[in-house]
Amino acid sequence: MEHVDHILIVDDDREIRELVGNYLKKNGLRTTVVADGRQMRAFLDTTPVDLIVLDIMMPGDDGLLLCREIRAGKHKATPILMLTARNDETDRIIGLEMGADDYLTKPFAARELLARINAVLRRTRMLPPNLVVTETGRLLGFGRWKLDTSARHLLDQDGTMVALSGAEYRLLRVFLDHPQRVLNRDQLLNLTQGRDADLFDRSIDLLVSRLRQRLLDDAREPAYIKTVRSEGYVFSYPVEILGAQS
Amino acid sequence: MSLSLRWPRTLASQLSLIFLVSLVLAHGLSFSLQFYERYESAKSTMLGNLESDVSTSVAILDRLPPAERAAWLPRLERQNYRYLLGDGEAGVPIDPKRVPIAVRSIDDAIGQDYAVTYTNVPGPKPHFQGHLKLADGAPVVIDVFPAAIPYALWLPVVLLLQLGLLIGCTWLAVRVAIRPLTRLAQAVETLDPNVHAAHLDESGPTEVAYAAAAFNSMQDRIAVYLKERMQILGAISHDLQTPITRMKLRAEFMDDCIEKDKLWSDLSEMEHLVREGVAYARSVHGSTETSHRIDLDSFLDSLVFDYQDMGKQVELSGKNAAVIETRPHALRRVLVNLVDNALKFAGAAELVVGSTADGQLSVKVLDRGPGIAEAELAEVMKPFYRVESSRNRSTGGTGLGLAIAQQLALAIGGSLVLSNRDGGGLCAELRL
Repeated sequence: MEHVDHILIVDDDREIRELVGNYLKKNGLRTTVVADGRQMRAFLDTTPVDLIVLDIMMPGDDGLLLCREIRAGKHKATPILMLTARNDETDRIIGLEMGADDYLTKPFAARELLARINAVLRRTRMLPPNLVVTETGRLLGFGRWKLDTSARHLLDQDGTMVALSGAEYRLLRVFLDHPQRVLNRDQLLNLTQGRDADLFDRSIDLLVSRLRQRLLDDAREPAYIKTVRSEGYVFSYPVEILGAQS
Repeated sequence: MSLSLRWPRTLASQLSLIFLVSLVLAHGLSFSLQFYERYESAKSTMLGNLESDVSTSVAILDRLPPAERAAWLPRLERQNYRYLLGDGEAGVPIDPKRVPIAVRSIDDAIGQDYAVTYTNVPGPKPHFQGHLKLADGAPVVIDVFPAAIPYALWLPVVLLLQLGLLIGCTWLAVRVAIRPLTRLAQAVETLDPNVHAAHLDESGPTEVAYAAAAFNSMQDRIAVYLKERMQILGAISHDLQTPITRMKLRAEFMDDCIEKDKLWSDLSEMEHLVREGVAYARSVHGSTETSHRIDLDSFLDSLVFDYQDMGKQVELSGKNAAVIETRPHALRRVLVNLVDNALKFAGAAELVVGSTADGQLSVKVLDRGPGIAEAELAEVMKPFYRVESSRNRSTGGTGLGLAIAQQLALAIGGSLVLSNRDGGGLCAELRL
């Protein structure tokens, strides 16, 4: 029997969770809707799910707390997609820091939610990361650089912020999540397609060269991202999880 | 050149002037009174002495044998006058209107017994001489050097010291009085209700402490009002977002038709307005974002690449290699709003990095769109103001983009200047 992805939706607004549930069902997913953290725990105790859609602003235990709880419990590998009510950078940072895989700002379009769910599922299924960044480890260190995975920028040795474009960040993150592993262009393209899947049409090679520039990596003698002839690229530098921001 | 004495403008100099002038006047007055009194008493003592001394001395000379007189002269000599034998120096008769007091005293002493004539002897040391003849016909001259009342050499030094003390005390008093005022003015000027500003020191003299306390409570009240306003805005926007979300979700269940598209775009517009409204309120209220050292080139690069990845025509020219201390999200928001505007009106944007004549960092967002009428350049930065061409709903502006950009530019210590370009189009320059 073909596997149908099971999505658990946690939102205190009855209409929203039912509308979302129905939409996803209509698009071929299995859905369960619950209203709060208590119901969520009760359901997860008996049934594992493939992905959890979690609202941040809820009475009682809020989404951030629940997210942290899931990441610390037996379902820690389950992908989480956060729904935030405010379009505020700090919300996003906190949400990602708490271990969510992606987020969506309310009001959102149901088809966008569906696209995000599929992208997250694809990402986590395709190539499980070697390196799992947890709530406490939001800084990844490699060579002279640190990557802040919640604020999504690089820090150099002096702590100066070096910004990355969305695509650059996603590509670097894919490399850092899979160090020492040769990734071909298709894999990179698929893993890099995140939020703006339909809009992203740059070639991987161009993106890699941009990233090398950003890392001040010499393209002829790269220290970080090496080209593997006729196969793809490999991130050859050791990566370490540095923990919370110093 | 005319030397005009103007009333000084600063309170400090006005107070200093009043204090100093009145203190110096009062001091000078009491000094003069004392000096005059001393002068009078010294004069009467001196003249009294002169009278008895002159009559005694002349009597002695008169009774001495002529041969012994010369030997006695040094003994009779005093500080201001001496006796000479002979006719004395040539001189001019004394002007009867300006007879020295000493002349009268000498007259009082010996005028009855001897006929004395007086002459002034001008010269580098003017003095006068009284000529008389003793009983035996020998001429004698009383040579008088009128001198000012003697005063101690330290007197001018003490006077100068006193003057210095007066100036010093005045300066101190004025400073003590002015400083709290200056501090208060500075506090008011830098008053930023968004940042939780430090309270003024409420110590010091009663009046100063009172003013400081009043200022502090005013500051607190403003902060409370602002916070309340933000909470209201936040609550409204949050409560609006839930129904908008529901409506959007419902609209997606509708069959495809024109009505659905219209509903969808109305909802998007509403959503945009709510979001921008909150963003504007936040930008006015300031941000809790901490500032960070950022590499400007990579910052702008990533911004432009994000646009290019979405298929937008945004180009960057110029390098700066500057590392600046700023709030990255606020800076990004300013530039994104400017670029979005350029894209909306011109379809393409160009970013140019450079520096202004006075060394400020400048990021220009240029477009070749319709530009903005000169008269409206200042107006467009006001919230909810839309230029005529933008009122057309199809462009879908909320009239907040530039207002937010300007507020945030101020918040990060920069400024935003709009101007029309030669050859058409708008130039929005952010100076940092």
